[in-house]
Amino acid sequence: MRVSRWARIAVVGALALGMSACAGQGAPQQTAASAGGPVTLQFWHGMTGPDGPAVQKVIDEFNKSQSDIVIKPNIMPWDQLYQKLLTSVTSADGPQIIAMDASRVPQYASKGALAPTDDFFAGTTFMDTSVLPAAAVDASKVGGTNYGVPFNLAPMMLYYNKDMFKAAGLDPDKPPTTWDEFTAMAGKLTVDKNGDGKPEQYAIALADHETVPMYQPFLWNNGGGVVSADAKTANLADPASLAALDFWTRQVRDNKVSPIGLAGADADKLFQTRKAAMEIVGPWMTNGFTEAGIDFGLARPFAGPTGQDTLMNVVSLTLNAKITDAQKKAAYTFFSYWNSAESQVIWADGSGFPPTRTDIAADKLKNKFSAEFGNKELLDNSQVYLAGVPNAGTITDDIFYPALQKVLNGKGTVEEVFTKAAKDVQAQIDKG
Amino acid sequence: MAPSLLIIGVFMVWPLVQSAYLSFTEYNRIQAARWVGVHNYVELVQDEQVWNALGNTAVYAVVVTPITVLLALAFAIFLNRPMVGREFVRTAIFMPFIVSMAIISFAWSFLLDANIGLVTYWLGQVGFVTEQGWLTDPQLAMPAVMLVGVWKSVGFYMVMYLAGLQSIPTELYEAARVDGASAWSRFRHITWPLLANQTMLVSIMAAIATIQVFDQIYVMTRGGPFFSTETLVMLIYRVGFQDLRLGYGSAVSWVLMILVFGLSMLQFGYFRKRAVTY
Amino acid sequence: MASTITATRSRPDFVHRLLLGVGGIVLGLAILLPIIWMVFTAFKPEADVVQYPPALFPRSLTLQHFADIWDAIPFARLYGNTIVFAGGVTIFSLLFDSMTGYALARLEFRGKNVVFVLIMILLMVPFQVTLIPLYDLLGSIGLAGTLPGMIVPRMTNAFGIFFMRQFYLSLPRDLEEAARVDGASEWRIFSRIITPLARPALLTLGLFHFQYNWNDLLWPLIMSKDIEGATLPAGLSMFVGQHVVEYGLLMAGSVLALMPVVIFFLVIQKSFVAGIATTGMK
Repeated sequence: MRVSRWARIAVVGALALGMSACAGQGAPQQTAASAGGPVTLQFWHGMTGPDGPAVQKVIDEFNKSQSDIVIKPNIMPWDQLYQKLLTSVTSADGPQIIAMDASRVPQYASKGALAPTDDFFAGTTFMDTSVLPAAAVDASKVGGTNYGVPFNLAPMMLYYNKDMFKAAGLDPDKPPTTWDEFTAMAGKLTVDKNGDGKPEQYAIALADHETVPMYQPFLWNNGGGVVSADAKTANLADPASLAALDFWTRQVRDNKVSPIGLAGADADKLFQTRKAAMEIVGPWMTNGFTEAGIDFGLARPFAGPTGQDTLMNVVSLTLNAKITDAQKKAAYTFFSYWNSAESQVIWADGSGFPPTRTDIAADKLKNKFSAEFGNKELLDNSQVYLAGVPNAGTITDDIFYPALQKVLNGKGTVEEVFTKAAKDVQAQIDKG
Repeated sequence: MAPSLLIIGVFMVWPLVQSAYLSFTEYNRIQAARWVGVHNYVELVQDEQVWNALGNTAVYAVVVTPITVLLALAFAIFLNRPMVGREFVRTAIFMPFIVSMAIISFAWSFLLDANIGLVTYWLGQVGFVTEQGWLTDPQLAMPAVMLVGVWKSVGFYMVMYLAGLQSIPTELYEAARVDGASAWSRFRHITWPLLANQTMLVSIMAAIATIQVFDQIYVMTRGGPFFSTETLVMLIYRVGFQDLRLGYGSAVSWVLMILVFGLSMLQFGYFRKRAVTY
Repeated sequence: MASTITATRSRPDFVHRLLLGVGGIVLGLAILLPIIWMVFTAFKPEADVVQYPPALFPRSLTLQHFADIWDAIPFARLYGNTIVFAGGVTIFSLLFDSMTGYALARLEFRGKNVVFVLIMILLMVPFQVTLIPLYDLLGSIGLAGTLPGMIVPRMTNAFGIFFMRQFYLSLPRDLEEAARVDGASEWRIFSRIITPLARPALLTLGLFHFQYNWNDLLWPLIMSKDIEGATLPAGLSMFVGQHVVEYGLLMAGSVLALMPVVIFFLVIQKSFVAGIATTGMK
C-alpha cells in the first residue's frame, strides 16, 4: 500500500518536472462560464477592517438584484493583495476584477497585465460617467489610456482638536488657513513643559513614511512637486520644491511642530491620544477619533504660498488583461452598479468616505462626515499623487521618504539630499 | 528516503534551479523572462543598496548570533539549578518562540512607540528619555530589531542547551568540587567542553537564521529609517515583490546563498575539529 | 514547587532559591511583556487600546471581541484549515525527515555526500527565492489554490533532515548492530528500534514545524483561493484595515490562535527538554 502511494507521488513528480518546463509563462486561461449559467467574477479588494462591511453590503445587494452575474469578493489587506496578485495575475485562478490604489495601476498596466477601460467611459451604455470626479477618473490613466474605474476616493482634511486649541488660548473655530498662521499657532500648540527637549504635546502629526502622503502636498502648494504634471520630469530639485521642503523640515527639526519618524498609523495614534493638536488625513479616522471622545473639527488643509490643494487618495477597479468580452461586460455592469447613487449612499454612510459621484446632495447622506469630505470646493482642489507614473511605489518608498528622513535626522541638507533624490526619481521615470 | 528526495528534488531543487536561471534574466512575472546574461550580477556589485544591506546583515549576524547563543547558554545554566518558579521562567523564555511575529510586532510597536509607548513611558518616568523612540531613530532602530530578534529565538536555543546540560553526569561536578575547582573552572573544564556539540548545532542554526533575518524587520521597520535596518532578505523581498524585479532579486539571493553556505561550512569545519565525544 | 522543598534542605539554601526564583520570575515577566500586553488588549474596549498615558491593565473588561470574532471572519473554518495544514505538514515532515536523516546518518549509499551537501545548501535558501517558481510548478500540476498544494511541498524540509541526522549520529550503534546480527531488516530496525529512541527528538522537531506552519502567513496566503481556504494568520490580517487596525478583534483572535501551540508546548515540555539531549554532533 505504501509503495503504491509512493508510485503515485513519483508519477505526479515526474509530470511536474515535465510540465514546469514552461513555467514562468503562465498557465492557460480559464474557460469562460458556459452559456446559460451566470458569469462569476472573482473580485479582489483590500477594504479590510471597518470599511469592509459597507463594500460587502453593496456586493450582496448587487448579487441579489440580478441573476446573470455573481461577484465573488476575496478580501485581504493591500500589501497581501499585491503579493498574491504578483503570483497569480498570470495564472488560471487569477481574479477578473482587482481593486488597487491608483498609484499602482501604471506598474501593472505598463507590463500588459490590465485591460483598458476606455470603452466604459466612451458612451453612456453602462452609466453617465460625467458624474464621476475627473481627478478620480484620470488617476488610473497611463499614457492616455484608462485602466480603471473609480472604486473610492478620499480627500485629506485637516483634523484639529478643539479642546487643545482652547487650552492654548486659540479660537477653537479658527484652524490655521495658511502656512504663516500655522507657524504662529504651532508656537502655542507645541508644549515642552519639563524642558527636556522632547515636547509632551505637538502642534501636528506629520508622518514621514508608510503613510498617505502628508509632506508632498506642501510641495504642490509652493508651486513644486515630486514629478511634473505630465509625469515626465522629476521636480524635486526645483527651487519651489526645495523651498517647501526646507520650510517644513525646519518646522519639524528646529521648532519640533511634529515628531520625526512617524508612520501613518503612529500619526493617527498621536492625534487620538491628544498628543498632537492637528493631523491631515482621510475620512477613515472620523470613527476612531469620535469613539475616543475627541472633540475635533474638520477643515480644508491650510494654503501654501501659491495654492491650497489637498491630496486625494483614489482606489480604482481594474480588469485582468485576460478577461473575456462577456466577463468584461459583466464587470462593467457591476462597476456601474457600484457607482450608482443608491450604492454610493450605502458606501458613504457605512464608511464615512465621500460618494464617488458629485451629484449626490449632502442632505441625502446620513453620515455627516461623508458630506464634509464630499465638499465640492475640497474635491475641486484635490490632486492625485503620482498619477500615471510607473514605479510610483519605488519613487515614494525607496527614494522620497528615505531622503526626507535623512534630512529630518540631520544627515544632509535639503538641497544636497533632494538634488540626488531628484536624479533617482528621474531614473525611475525614464525606466518606465 | 526516496520519497523525501523526490519531494526535495521537485519542490526545492527545481524551483532553485529556476531561480538560478531567472538570475540571468529580466523578469517581472507578467511578461516573459528576457535573458540578460550576467547583467544583474554586474549591477549588483555596483549597487550601493546591496552593499548597505550586506553591511547591515553582517552587523546583525555578528552581533545577534553570539549574544543569542551566550544568553541561551546563560539562561540554561541559570535554570538548570533548583529554584522557585523554574517551570514558569522556562516557559516564559520559550513563549516568544511560538508566537506569531506578525501579531506580536503590534505589541512591540505599542510598547516601543516614541510618544505613547508603554516601555518608553516607564523609562521616561525614571528619567530615560529617547527623543525619537526606538524603531524610528536611525541610531536605535538596528539595536531595537536586534533586541526583538534575540527575544524571539533565545528560548529555543536555551531548551537545546538545557537538554545538553542534563546529559552531563553530575558525578563529574562532584568530583571537581572535591578537588576544590571554582565555579568558573568547573564551567571552563566540564560544562563548556561537554556542550561543544550543542554549541555547534546552536551556532550554525543561529547563524543561518540571523543571516536570513526578515520577519521582524518587515513588520517593524520595513528596512527603515532610510535603509538603516534593511537586510539582504528584506532587499530581495523589496526588489522582487515591490519593484517587480524578480530576476535581479534572484541574483541577490544567489549571492546571499553562496555567502551563507561558505560561512556555515567554515563553522562546520571549525566545530568538527573541536567536537568532543562523550 | 512544593515537592522540591524537602525537610533536609537548610534555611539559607531555601532563601537563596527563593531569591533566585524571584529574580527569575521578574525576568520571565519582562520577557512575557509583549504577550501580556496582547492578552490584556484582547479584553479592552476598542477605544481604550490607544491611550495616553499608556496602561497595561484594562480600565474596563469586555468579552465582546471574543464573541464578535466568530461573525467577523469564518473563524472555525480557518481554525480547521490551519489544523489540517500545520498538522499535515508536521506529520509528513516528521516521517520523511527522520527517514532521510537516518539514511544520511547510518546507511551507506552512493552519492550520500552529494545529498548531504545539497541539504546543507537548501538550508541556506531564503524561502522568498523559490516562492514564485514553486507556485508555478504547483499551478502546472493543478495543485495551486488547494490545501494539498499547500502541504505537499513542505512534507520534508532541509532543516528537519539536518536536525534528525545530527540526532541519529549521536545514538550508540550497538543496538542496531545487535538487531542486524539477529537478521532484522533495515526498515524493521528503523521503525522498531530507532524511532522509539528518537521520540523526544521527533517531538522537538514536531513542535518546531508545527509552530512555524501554524504562524506562517505568506505561503498559505498565496496558496489559498479565498478566505474559506485560508489559514488563521491570513484570517486575522482581515482586522488590519488599510488605515485602521481593529486591535481588540486582532488580539482576541491571536490569543485564541495561540492556544493550540501553547498547549502543544506544555504537553510535551518534559520530553521536549529531554528531546535534544542527545542531538549533539559527532
